[in-house]
Amino acid sequence: MKQALLDKKDIGKLLKSAAVDSPVYAPVMGNSEIEFTRIADGSEAVSLEYSNLKLSPKGIFFPQTETLLTFDFDAVEDVPEPESGIVVFGSRPCDALSLLYLDKVFGPENKGYDDPYYMKRREDSVMISLACSEPCRTCFCTSVGGGPADRKGSDILMFDLDEGIFFRAETGKGEAFLEKYSSLFGEPGADTEKKADEQGNEAALSMETLPVDKEALKKHLDDGFEDPVWEKLTQNCIGCGACTYLCPTCYCFDISDEQRMYKGKRIRTWDACQFPQFTKHASGHNPRNTKLERLRQRFMHKFSYLPENMGEIYCVGCGRCVTNCPVNIDIREVIETFAKK
Amino acid sequence: MKAVETEVRNKAKELLEKGEVDLFIGYGKATIPLKSRPIFIAKDSAEEGPDDLVWDSFCSNNLAAYLQKYFENQPNRRKKRETPYPKIGMMAKGCDMRSVVALVKENQVIRENMVILGLPCTGMIDRRKVLEALEGQEVTEYRETEKGLEVTTRDGKSHSFDREEYLQPACKECRFPVPEGTDFMMPGDGRKPGDGGYARIKEFEQKSSDEKWEYFKTEMSKCIRCNACRQACPTCWCKECFADHTDLKWIGVGTDLSDTMIFQIIRIFHQAGRCVECDACYNACPMGIDLRTYTKKIVKDTQELFDFIPDFNTESTPPLSTFSEQDTDGFITDPEEH
Repeated sequence: MKQALLDKKDIGKLLKSAAVDSPVYAPVMGNSEIEFTRIADGSEAVSLEYSNLKLSPKGIFFPQTETLLTFDFDAVEDVPEPESGIVVFGSRPCDALSLLYLDKVFGPENKGYDDPYYMKRREDSVMISLACSEPCRTCFCTSVGGGPADRKGSDILMFDLDEGIFFRAETGKGEAFLEKYSSLFGEPGADTEKKADEQGNEAALSMETLPVDKEALKKHLDDGFEDPVWEKLTQNCIGCGACTYLCPTCYCFDISDEQRMYKGKRIRTWDACQFPQFTKHASGHNPRNTKLERLRQRFMHKFSYLPENMGEIYCVGCGRCVTNCPVNIDIREVIETFAKK
Repeated sequence: MKAVETEVRNKAKELLEKGEVDLFIGYGKATIPLKSRPIFIAKDSAEEGPDDLVWDSFCSNNLAAYLQKYFENQPNRRKKRETPYPKIGMMAKGCDMRSVVALVKENQVIRENMVILGLPCTGMIDRRKVLEALEGQEVTEYRETEKGLEVTTRDGKSHSFDREEYLQPACKECRFPVPEGTDFMMPGDGRKPGDGGYARIKEFEQKSSDEKWEYFKTEMSKCIRCNACRQACPTCWCKECFADHTDLKWIGVGTDLSDTMIFQIIRIFHQAGRCVECDACYNACPMGIDLRTYTKKIVKDTQELFDFIPDFNTESTPPLSTFSEQDTDGFITDPEEH
């Protein structure tokens, strides 16, 4: 089954059925905002009324805090088995694309260093993305290889149309999903797909474009490593990690042990290049001792080092860092500054 | 506010030109609506000049948070310095100035090296509240008016917001909107001082321990440990935060509730007599955690138990920096009463 239509009021039914078979995460109104929540029985207040969620689905596959193993003195007691076959319902195309980038880091492509925890969660996962009809003014996905209805990384694309939600399978996994729950879906009309494509095109056209030329930007950044403009771009930074933690492609982590006497657990937690401790050596020396060096690292990593190592710009243009920075440090300004150099 | 803005620009220009300051810290235009951001102007900076300074109802960052680094002794800036400390000019609302005073008392800022332009503050508009009221409609244009704010959204509709209703809660409650002890006072009238907002805390205190604990747990479970609260706070200046110690690890680095809770408990307790109720932490938090109930509780307790408010008085001694035999100790001897 390649295409299907779902009445909006049946979203709960679909999620309920899917949650019987697999771990399903969908946007649910939480304490103060809509967030990805594990669906128990479909009775949750699932909402598709958001431009983008504050926290990307990154944390579903790469949790902020995860136990890698538990130990007793010198013996490993238990190694938790992460869940697989995860269904993410309602991610945005930019977030789906970001997972392809994380796959490159945690997957076999990265010099054979597979991350078993991440890869297990990604195994057989189904990404059901909701195409954007009204991208935010802080979004710039079309400038960095994505788009409001971009299919990269999504198994199914959903379009919120007047007649209902139009589902279009983009991969075999997506088709299988639609097949499995075919009894819940209706037939799309003859021109439904056309309407969906139009919506996507219109959304893409409504967005501002940034002058991102992967090669040139990298060169300008490499040449401009010592450029005094970094001082201006970074001086109002307060050194928090909001940008990195909300970023769907930032993947740095730390591993530490938490123990009481001899028993304990080894945990992996998100870490951020914006914190001085991130690079602090045991000797006390810190190669990135200033705010300028740390913030520059964030941009260099995304637009120079990772394009070199992984072949991609590690920014999907979701705009989360732009809207949530307490002091309005804007990644678009950095791009524009160095595009012009 | 436009007249004040012009005045600020002229004064900053004069200070920079005469060499009375090496750097001027103020607010400038941001790249997103309903926000102004901290900018730094040096005499010879090509990109930004005094004419880029802005004074509107979105200058809510506490600029004192940037000061400490100019006066600290680092390995490359030894105590016996060859180059003197820089002269810093700064725009200051009531809260910024109170933070400066607190930092001066803690020897983190050299007052003689500061030239402060005081701004009679009429309160800052609550960006989040306005965006919430617009229910996801994005702002394309905005304009401040006599009464408040005129906003145009992407669907072409215009909305008006009453200034008083949409002020940041900290500004509504603010007891010190007009800074004192500045070097130059900008013209205009500040807001009528508020009542401090203790009524809300008294109400909170009436809740049962279980209710309070539940609320605290709900709020702290939103924390992503990004440290924005700590970094935005002018008086969170510890060179090495207890939460960052790795050699002797006081708290975990993850999002376990016990860790997020203890982080805020210690951070906020450490603000006793130092917190100026500016809500920088609350405004910086990307997850919208209600930190202000707890910071305000500490402010209220410090006033009630130690008769101390971190105001503009440069002579008074903050309670965390002193000890008196008369200090209250009921919270130790009769914890049930407190």
